[in-house]
Amino acid sequence: MATIADLRQLVSETHTEPAEAMTRELLAEGLDPFAILEQGVMTGLNDVGNRFAAKKAIVLDLVRAGVTAKACIPLIEAVLPRGESKKTEKKIVLGTMLSQHNIGKNLVGTLLSIGGFEVVDVGEKNSPWDFYETAESSGADMIAVSVVFAPAMEKFTELVDLLKEMKVREKYRIIVGGAVTSEKWAASEEADGWGSQAKDAVDLARDLLRVE
Amino acid sequence: MSKLLWEAIQRSTTGQLMAEEKFETELFPTVLADLQAKHKIEWDGESPIMADPDLADAIFQAGKELLLEVGLYCKNTRRIVKFTAEEIEEAIRTARTEITLGKDRQAITISPRAPGDPQHPYTFFPAGTLTTDIELYKTHAKVVMQEPTCDGVIPIPLYGVGDVKNIADSPAQTLVCLTEAQIMNEAAMWAGKPGLFLGIPMSATTPLTLMSAFGSGLYNKHNCTLPVQIIQDMRIDYDRLNLAFFAEQHGIEPWMSSSPALYAYLTGPEQAAMEIIAHTLGMLAYSGGSLTQAMSISVHGTYIGSDISWCNSAAALAAERNLKLPWVTFGSMGNPAGPLSDEAWFQVAIACISACISGMEGLWLAGGSTGVEARWAGEMARAAATLKPKEGVEMIKKALAAERAPDPAPVSLRALYDMKTLRPCDELVGQYRKFTRIFTELGLSYPSWPH
Repeated sequence: MATIADLRQLVSETHTEPAEAMTRELLAEGLDPFAILEQGVMTGLNDVGNRFAAKKAIVLDLVRAGVTAKACIPLIEAVLPRGESKKTEKKIVLGTMLSQHNIGKNLVGTLLSIGGFEVVDVGEKNSPWDFYETAESSGADMIAVSVVFAPAMEKFTELVDLLKEMKVREKYRIIVGGAVTSEKWAASEEADGWGSQAKDAVDLARDLLRVE
Repeated sequence: MSKLLWEAIQRSTTGQLMAEEKFETELFPTVLADLQAKHKIEWDGESPIMADPDLADAIFQAGKELLLEVGLYCKNTRRIVKFTAEEIEEAIRTARTEITLGKDRQAITISPRAPGDPQHPYTFFPAGTLTTDIELYKTHAKVVMQEPTCDGVIPIPLYGVGDVKNIADSPAQTLVCLTEAQIMNEAAMWAGKPGLFLGIPMSATTPLTLMSAFGSGLYNKHNCTLPVQIIQDMRIDYDRLNLAFFAEQHGIEPWMSSSPALYAYLTGPEQAAMEIIAHTLGMLAYSGGSLTQAMSISVHGTYIGSDISWCNSAAALAAERNLKLPWVTFGSMGNPAGPLSDEAWFQVAIACISACISGMEGLWLAGGSTGVEARWAGEMARAAATLKPKEGVEMIKKALAAERAPDPAPVSLRALYDMKTLRPCDELVGQYRKFTRIFTELGLSYPSWPH
């Protein structure tokens, strides 16, 4: 008989189809969907994150674990009592400033989605205007910016200035991260939050957007 | 236009269509893992250096097969550009194995060198510093260029010039980059080294600025190279091909560069070394270049560590035995505590020894920015050149295990040099003397070191 611990292991090992099948099985057995979500899917995902931190897993494993988790979560959500969904109803515009690098940005997107946020991914090589325009048109609550090389740092400053000039700075929380950034720099640029790792984005979003 | 550049452009419109996600998460890692297993390429998890010739040859073969099987993904068209085995062989056969960088009395001709070859690897130290103060930037460049063992430099990117910020895609970035070029030339003149090799235009991030930098003449085919670097994990775009064509038209040496990221889509240094070879062969095909800068980085945020140095030495040895290209590796990021810390000096020494025993022709020492450190790097490369791989590995192990004094507080260049005479302070010279003694005791010698 399948257990939630088995599901955790399948997610941790990124076996998407078996994990999906086991999620169905656990739900059919009548187990608590929140327990399946938290102790099975999310804990399995954390296991991969911990292995990654210990250099025992790679970003691709995190991406695959994200795919596995994303296959399981809708099944669980479908049986959650109406009104108790883990969806946050908060929208986050996410993208990379200037650079074409997307590994960290994609990982943040995956984790935010799994965390219940609606992610509007604007991709790579963005200008400050791209972030502003997308945030306005999508009705976003937050802007998350990946800054991975020095010239993009200047562009982040421009983004903050642009939002002020357009008189919308207070509408959005802004978080930033990436290889060349630091907590001190982010604070000096008036970012609302900074993260050194992808998973920090979820905690920041929950905190800044007051999500329980 | 060269034949293979033309073919690359053509095939970017006719090659197999594929979503980028499928390429990077399915095709590329699957073929990579299969080839690693097929050629039995393994790192023991500890060794900081790879000095096994047979394993180097296996890495080269695996890297070549990787390029042939996977090809290069063109981001503009979402198509895969593939080359045939015959084309790659032709690119290898016709590659230039010797190049000259710099001009007149500062010209250096880089020829193939094997591990233990008396010809030392050339050392390229960073010139400038992270600032918008151009006088301070110039002073940093001068203190490096004034050293007798400065073979050439690679600038530090300028954040801006006074109030002019380095804004990509704008004329401001071009202005900043031209300022960088002007300062580098002025500093070289001041140091009595007109024609010194000045690396690549580091303040430029777009093809337009790169081309403008060469259009000015401040950077030119004698003193600078043009980056045509491949994008991580076997990807290209039209920017690379445009730059390759520009370099070809103007007789500028392409700067072929490969920087795979460990633990992103690569499981470890073995796969990164394979990818560096595949990248190099791909760039050889589309750019017709020769000078290759190869290094691995880590998504965990470091440029140092046994995994990274193993990868860099493995790829260098694989290339030395099979390509004979002028090969430059990125070594030593310095220490946040600065040039008065022991760690900074050990890192430079280890990078130089590793370059010598891996058959590298050059070393880009990105850490540190004082002239005395540049002198130390040049002297170490000369002193360690003839080391046999086994001797070098033993010396590196001793250096890694050596006791370090506690890190001091970081200090600025103003505290390390007399800003009028540009002479180093006693404490910095003392650090230099301490390390010449340490490595003399370990068995190296250089004419100006204690006997």
